Amino acid sequence: METFINPKSLFHLLLLPCLLLYSSIAYNSSPVEAAMHTNNWAVLVCTSRFWFNYRHMANTLSLYRTVKRLGIPDERIILMLADDMACNTRNKYPAQVFNNENHRLNLYGDNVEVDYRGYEVTVENFLRVLTGRHETAVPRSKRLLSDEGSHILLYMTGHGGDEFLKFQDSEELQSHDLADAVKQMKEKHRFKELLIMVDTCQAATLFNQLQSPGVLAIGSSMKGENSYSHHLDSDVGVSVVDRFTYYTLAFFERLNIYDNASLSSLFSSYNPSLLMSTAYYRKDLYKRRLEEVPVTNFFGSVMETIHTDAAYKALSRRNSGRFEDEMSLDQSVHHIKRRMLIKVNDGDEIHDINPEGEEGASKCPWSTFRNKFQKAENVDSLLNYGLVAMIPLLVISTWLVQ
Amino acid sequence: MAEISEAPDSDSSKLLGSDSKAPQRPDSEPEFDPKLMRKTKPGLKRLFLTFSVLFSFLLGFPFLWKSVEIYRSPLPFREIDSLSTQLRSDTLLFPLHFHALFVGFDSDPDRLRWSILSEITKLTSQNPKCSDNYTLSVTVDLGSRCLRGPTSSPHSSSYQCGSVTGDDFVQNDDVVVDERLASVFGGKNNEYSMAVVKGVSERAVVGKYRHAWMVVGDGSDVEMAVVKVAEVLIKVFINGGREEGLIRNEFMPVGADGKIVLSFNLLNADPHDWVYDWDFEKIDDTLLTPMIEALGPVANISVESQVLYHTPKASFSYWNQKLESYVFSTKDLPFFVNSNEWHLDTSIAAGGRSKILQFAVYVPSAKECPLLLQLPNGEISKTNGFISPMWGGVIVWNPQGCLKDSEFKPSAKNIIPIQDLENMFEVFIGQFRQLFGFKSLNVYTGASGDWNLLPSERGFTEWELDVLSRQHTCFNLHSCATTLGSLSRLVQSLPRMIIKDEIGKQVKLSLEAAKLALSNASSGVYEFSAASSSQARSLAEDAFFHPSIMSVSYYSFEHCFAVYSPFFLPVSMHVVLAALRELRRYKQEKAKYLAWKAKANTAT
Repeated sequence: METFINPKSLFHLLLLPCLLLYSSIAYNSSPVEAAMHTNNWAVLVCTSRFWFNYRHMANTLSLYRTVKRLGIPDERIILMLADDMACNTRNKYPAQVFNNENHRLNLYGDNVEVDYRGYEVTVENFLRVLTGRHETAVPRSKRLLSDEGSHILLYMTGHGGDEFLKFQDSEELQSHDLADAVKQMKEKHRFKELLIMVDTCQAATLFNQLQSPGVLAIGSSMKGENSYSHHLDSDVGVSVVDRFTYYTLAFFERLNIYDNASLSSLFSSYNPSLLMSTAYYRKDLYKRRLEEVPVTNFFGSVMETIHTDAAYKALSRRNSGRFEDEMSLDQSVHHIKRRMLIKVNDGDEIHDINPEGEEGASKCPWSTFRNKFQKAENVDSLLNYGLVAMIPLLVISTWLVQ
Repeated sequence: MAEISEAPDSDSSKLLGSDSKAPQRPDSEPEFDPKLMRKTKPGLKRLFLTFSVLFSFLLGFPFLWKSVEIYRSPLPFREIDSLSTQLRSDTLLFPLHFHALFVGFDSDPDRLRWSILSEITKLTSQNPKCSDNYTLSVTVDLGSRCLRGPTSSPHSSSYQCGSVTGDDFVQNDDVVVDERLASVFGGKNNEYSMAVVKGVSERAVVGKYRHAWMVVGDGSDVEMAVVKVAEVLIKVFINGGREEGLIRNEFMPVGADGKIVLSFNLLNADPHDWVYDWDFEKIDDTLLTPMIEALGPVANISVESQVLYHTPKASFSYWNQKLESYVFSTKDLPFFVNSNEWHLDTSIAAGGRSKILQFAVYVPSAKECPLLLQLPNGEISKTNGFISPMWGGVIVWNPQGCLKDSEFKPSAKNIIPIQDLENMFEVFIGQFRQLFGFKSLNVYTGASGDWNLLPSERGFTEWELDVLSRQHTCFNLHSCATTLGSLSRLVQSLPRMIIKDEIGKQVKLSLEAAKLALSNASSGVYEFSAASSSQARSLAEDAFFHPSIMSVSYYSFEHCFAVYSPFFLPVSMHVVLAALRELRRYKQEKAKYLAWKAKANTAT
């Protein structure tokens, strides 16, 4: 029998499903409308405790001061400091934090709003800030309320290593946790673009596992390299700033809010011989060219504004004498009712959906047993039941031995 | 020794066959080798004992398994998928009906209908997400009789012939005409009407309800009227006065829980110069409350207000001698809001997922007063205000003390005069409309001419509310489906994560609300569909952002293994080995016994 397999016809046969597949893919991937850049957020995290890690605190506070000076307001900055250096008993200059031995700049001056302090800086809280999964009682100032038009700057400093960052000397943030959190943020459109800056040893390994588009990451050192502090302040007694952050600040001190220096000039200002490590950045996930992106896209805050052309003149027709005859009785009552503060009982909604499905349990003992079984939260009591069930077996077997 | 010597004999006797029975030999003593034979049947007690221990372990294993089971509330994955595919494949269709009425024209309604439809198809953009399913009916009113096309349409037959004449449009008061037409057309939920009349003065107006009218001159062409009719139907009634069909996301400032908080702030830049206060409650009752009620289906809005002091702005202004005032330009607008000094976000009523929109009235200091905004074309802005999408709006109000500072007392607390406050709030309502994507101007400039848009006391006209309801329904349903899809993917990718009952319930309620919204949308009830779609979205967001879904805090398999294996591995090893050993021993003993039995049988 002769099967007529002409390569040409085979090609045609294969072409049709391919075309169908392609067109279905093209149809399904809806055109991504790029959202407008509406606001900037900054998440600044210092993960180290203890007095000798003064420089990490100073790093974070310096960057906090920079982004505030360039325009990001406190309500859009989440500042996490794992320890308190300003009011530390070993601080010779109480309530002052310096990042230079000339003590010219007090970073802890006025207007510092720390959102997560001390032992609240944990890996869990950090991931909750990024993904947005807080308890209902957490106030707005502790939440990252970004939307799909936000650019977020994420700065982390502390001690780190190969694919991890140490939090509070007791736990670690792994690179896959960070990548997972960023992926969930991207799924929920919590950012338009994200810039991650990490100043730790072997910092570039922390963003090895990132895969979400729109993320730009720079680390102060590559795998196998350490990041060093810049200088020691013999008065305060500890090193006061890290090299990578020092040179970053040197770049920004030359800028003001109206400048448009680009990100590529920032990244090329790092000199490996001065840093004593290689500042490595990863731009394969970032679509725009770095020469076109001004640093104020991440470090400052430039609002999009639209002028209001006209007032909505529906009300000019009304005579303005209406206000005087509104003191009628029911109006004032209505008025008083609305003046009460609206208590938002967020908890109520959720508690009403309390899983009370078990109250409809039937009288059948097996199902009640099953229900009690399911309700038993204590694993110990469960094991006790199991053990008790084994006693009859033991009894029978010992009887048989005799 | 006797055994050994006899052994070959017994063997040989076996070999010789069964006939040599050797009856003379006593048959209790064939060769007994205790290593290979035994006389008694092996007991089962030891076997039974060890197997009972093994069996009890095996019996207890399901209890143990159940005790370390991760509680996962069952999520309806298939329904989530079906909702996503339903939204993606058959695009959400909103049924609309258009009715065009031509008075004083002498044309064939079917031909008019055909030309309007062809114009409409030219204008309709491809909108894959949500589109509208519209039908069109045309009525030509010749005074004595009416010609309808299509003749069997139920909508156009509700129009009474001769109710609209050219005389209705003689006077120039649009509001009166609007009310008259409202009584004629009825303005039901998804029907939009358009009246084209021959008259004296040319005019094109869109009313407050769901109709528009156009007065054309006597010599004008009906074709041009057709183009204008198509334009107003698509661009205004469906798109809301915007060019593209869908509102972009930055013009949908509704929070994830369906709430918006409007925060009104009066900023006194320098209290040493003057301090202003306002009577907010009156304005709230009269101007804001109707608007808030009108927007009820789209968002749940609450209002707060505060007065702040010492709030200078961050940008600079320069003195303009010709205008005799300080001027700042549109280039300074992005830097105007001084976030360091303006502590606006101090709301206590806003929950974590609500959206706050800030409206600020800036009262400049004496050093910068009066402060005017200059547009790029050199004109001075009439409103002195601007918005930032998703943030809010700012208005600069110059107090009277600037202009005539002679009889002005700076120390007393001054109240903003009512007239100024009204004007300010009219600008605020315009800014609020801008934040939702509408224009604050009352004129729509189309390709074929201008249309006057009549304003409504509620801030939004009925047809604008319809546009908002439709767009928000579309956005909310797509967002709900995406969120639920992300949640189901997340849950399926982490098989050891605990899923609480609450999440399951929220997902179910969200799916029910989404179905309700879809059915309402397809039957044309926009308000209810907007409300249920917003509920669906907020429930989906609650489920996705439930605080218990944290990857750090669930039991990994390694954890479980590391906890239970130090006890169970050695114990199980011993138990199983014991059972196997006992079994092997039993088998050996049984073999020995059988061998003895066989020997004994052959010996007898």
